[in-house]
Amino acid sequence: MNSIKISDYEVVVGLEVHIQLNTNSKAFARDLNRFGDNPNTNISAITLAHPGTLPKANKAHIEKALLLAIATQSQINPTHQFDRKNYFYPDLPKGYQITQDRYPICEGGHITFESEGRIKKVRLHHIHMEEDAGKSSHDLSDRVSMLDYNRAGTPLVEMVTEPDLRSPQEVHDFMAYMQKLVRYLGISDGNMEEGSMRCDCNVSIRPKGSTIYGERCEIKNVNSKKFAKQAVAYEFKRQYKMVSKGVVFSKQTLNFNPETGVTTPLRSKEDAHDYRYFPDPDLPPILLAPEYIQTLRESMPMLPEQYVEHLTSKYGLNEYNSKELTREKAFADFFLRLAQKEHDYELLAKVIVNKILPEVKDSGKSIEKQVVSDERLLEFIGLIKSKKVAPSVANQILFPAMLDQSNVNLLELAGRLNLLKSEDQGFLGDILDDILKNHPEELEKYRKGNKALIGFFMGQAMKAAKGKADPKLLKTELVKKLND
Amino acid sequence: MENQSLKEIQLQLSRGKISVLEIVANYLKKIESTKDLNIYVNVFKDEAIEKAKALDQKYKDTPEQMGRLFGMVISIKDVICYKDHPVTAASKMLSGFESMYSSTAVERLLKEDAIIIGTTNCDEFAMGSSNEHSYYGPTKNADAPEYIPGGSSGGAAVSVQAGTCSIALGSDTGGSVRQPASFCNVIGMKPTYGRISRHGLIAYASSFDQIGLIGTVTEDMALVLEVISGSDEYDSTVSRNPVPGFYQNIDIDQKMKVGVLNSFFEHSRMNAEIKIKSKAVLESLQEAGHELVPLDFKSIDYLVPCYYVLTTAEASSNLSRYDGVKYGHRAQNITDLESLYKRSRTEGFGMEVKRRIMLGTFVLSSGYYDAYFEKAQKIRKIVKDEIDGLFSKVDVIALPTSMDYPWRIGDENQDPVSVYLSDVFTVIANLCGIPALSYPLGYGSENMSSGIQLMSNSFEEHHLFNLSALLQNMA
Repeated sequence: MNSIKISDYEVVVGLEVHIQLNTNSKAFARDLNRFGDNPNTNISAITLAHPGTLPKANKAHIEKALLLAIATQSQINPTHQFDRKNYFYPDLPKGYQITQDRYPICEGGHITFESEGRIKKVRLHHIHMEEDAGKSSHDLSDRVSMLDYNRAGTPLVEMVTEPDLRSPQEVHDFMAYMQKLVRYLGISDGNMEEGSMRCDCNVSIRPKGSTIYGERCEIKNVNSKKFAKQAVAYEFKRQYKMVSKGVVFSKQTLNFNPETGVTTPLRSKEDAHDYRYFPDPDLPPILLAPEYIQTLRESMPMLPEQYVEHLTSKYGLNEYNSKELTREKAFADFFLRLAQKEHDYELLAKVIVNKILPEVKDSGKSIEKQVVSDERLLEFIGLIKSKKVAPSVANQILFPAMLDQSNVNLLELAGRLNLLKSEDQGFLGDILDDILKNHPEELEKYRKGNKALIGFFMGQAMKAAKGKADPKLLKTELVKKLND
Repeated sequence: MENQSLKEIQLQLSRGKISVLEIVANYLKKIESTKDLNIYVNVFKDEAIEKAKALDQKYKDTPEQMGRLFGMVISIKDVICYKDHPVTAASKMLSGFESMYSSTAVERLLKEDAIIIGTTNCDEFAMGSSNEHSYYGPTKNADAPEYIPGGSSGGAAVSVQAGTCSIALGSDTGGSVRQPASFCNVIGMKPTYGRISRHGLIAYASSFDQIGLIGTVTEDMALVLEVISGSDEYDSTVSRNPVPGFYQNIDIDQKMKVGVLNSFFEHSRMNAEIKIKSKAVLESLQEAGHELVPLDFKSIDYLVPCYYVLTTAEASSNLSRYDGVKYGHRAQNITDLESLYKRSRTEGFGMEVKRRIMLGTFVLSSGYYDAYFEKAQKIRKIVKDEIDGLFSKVDVIALPTSMDYPWRIGDENQDPVSVYLSDVFTVIANLCGIPALSYPLGYGSENMSSGIQLMSNSFEEHHLFNLSALLQNMA
């Protein structure tokens, strides 16, 4: 009687998200914390663990970890402590990693995000601080392994969630939200492809409705949202196949290969490490003054959801535009910067959302690198507001032209394209006289009471004016002549 | 020139009766003539001469700009880093290694115009009490070359004992400065944990290690401590307490309550003669107006086990960095990563170091952590509480520095536990982080020396200097 189906099962996922923090210097040394430099350039005696060197905690590391703690409503431990995690690997200079085991900086808390149209809440187990290892490259040469210690000592926080995620898509959306969150907090660039954010996925499956967790496998070091989704989906199927065949499997550490889409074992239980954690005697416990934490709370940057609220309440934007503008912090910042100069917030938001954002998306340019300069965009909006160019014309013709010909003065460009509404609306009279003369039957019907024909005359007039007429003025003039 | 204080030397320098070059030349001559004692790992001969000439010139040109240690010649233990100079922790593991930076202590010595004459032999990675566990062979006691000088700062103690420098910097994790000082008839002092930055001190056990001083003149030691102490941005465990004027505040008339730890003097393995000589010193202190207060100490049997569990645990982790990957000894003809680690470390470390790494790894392993490491941490707290209680009654606590006189080189008991147990009198100061000073008791019937140990509460080194200066005065 083997009638179970995969749809009878659910996948249960908990994540360990590693976030590299964008501090100036490393976690326990003064070396620059910078991605992309030549190998082994940011390495002092301390980073290389030369004899006699000692670690020194970095205040910015603690501060950025605290911002994340506050943002996730995690309980900050008044005293936290660094521990040593002992293991040998060539990219680990000291033979131990400084991390937090017993007394992490904060415990509990949660992340709330949107996935598949629903609001999802994931509880956090804790967040701890640690340092990254260096980078080993085994494929640059077939004779030797290469070591780059630039990354060694990079400040990290590791966020450990409860097993609250229930689908590959949720895993994807959680990571997407995390990326957004760290950028809003300004604590990391969140670039997964550069390794600024990585996650380990703890995956188990169980029959739907069950409250017992199954045996879990851990997929290590996943460096993209897409891969995380794929890896979890693959692992769901793999575990389901085993469970449905009655195969009992034990806890495993896995690697996900994005090229094959398959997870493979990294190491099994037999060679599991005994990390011999113990408090690092070189780093005394850190006591956080309540006043210090209070100051941080008060100076917290706005979170994505607070930003939406801010844009709707303070700037009167509709929810759609607010959400679009907060999709990335850079968008919202761009709006706020321009809003200091342009007070027609709705129009500003409309132009950014409808014109700039699609351009950013299409061109792949970041909004800061500028699709268009602030001044030019404000001038563009100015032309619409002053009614020199009709909005539809501005959006459809002038905007793309403005991007193409970025060195031509905007007004001149509009003039050259013959888009400017005539300053002198006297020509309207002539146009209207012509139209009335050429359509005597319609005029007769209108005057006899068929007032709907005004639409017909407006259409004819607009066509004749080639977009240069102010519609309001045109209508006033038209009504005047029709009723003569 | 022996036993001359820096003050006297500087007076002679100012009167032109002697030059720094002559001082250095004398010491170098002494180093040459005591080569058999195996005191130094490296002597910075040419450099010391050049530096001496430069200082003599500087004194001619700008006498008002001389540093406070002008005229002082110092040796440093081979675990203290000095930029572009070899430092090996007396280990094959670091044979040929040169430090790319200077320890904070060395930086501060140099800034005050001291001359560093060389690095002294010691037990490998400062692990040992006899100086026999050195890659370079044992250092010999200058009073009786067939005897050990004590350890681990044995070379440091003999460098002063044999008159090859005026002050030696050692390191003291469980008595490594005080015990050899007592065996070599010189003064040895371990300041409060956190008084001197450990930046550039090769770690044995981080929460115990402290740079210590060996000398013959209390005032000079006080001055050097004053120079090298104080907060340091490279070490998070160093104290931010202001450094008192140890040197100018020495006051031999300060009357103190001196606690006498009877449970230590009455120890079953205590040498009778050392006990008598110690008691005599205490009586002389009483005659000088100090009050003796008999004290008891309950935790005595826990001291050594607690010390060895915690120090080996820290050491096992501290020495992980010596893996043959980045620097130091790397085994030849390795086949894979595991063989690189195993063979480099097997070849690079000596027996005693390996023993302690294994002990420490064991007490931290899963399943044993609670039974050993955590329990030892709790005991450390109990010991500290008991000592704090005693300091609410007295200013200084007196006890022997060691149970016995130095033994013959090679005679060391084959049972390491028995050797470990002999550290019982000195580890207490490191377990509690308090300062302690060993003052020489002079020669005994076998022409061997020993010492009496004085401990004060944390950051109260001045009590120890006051008593040391008084004893020096009475001698």
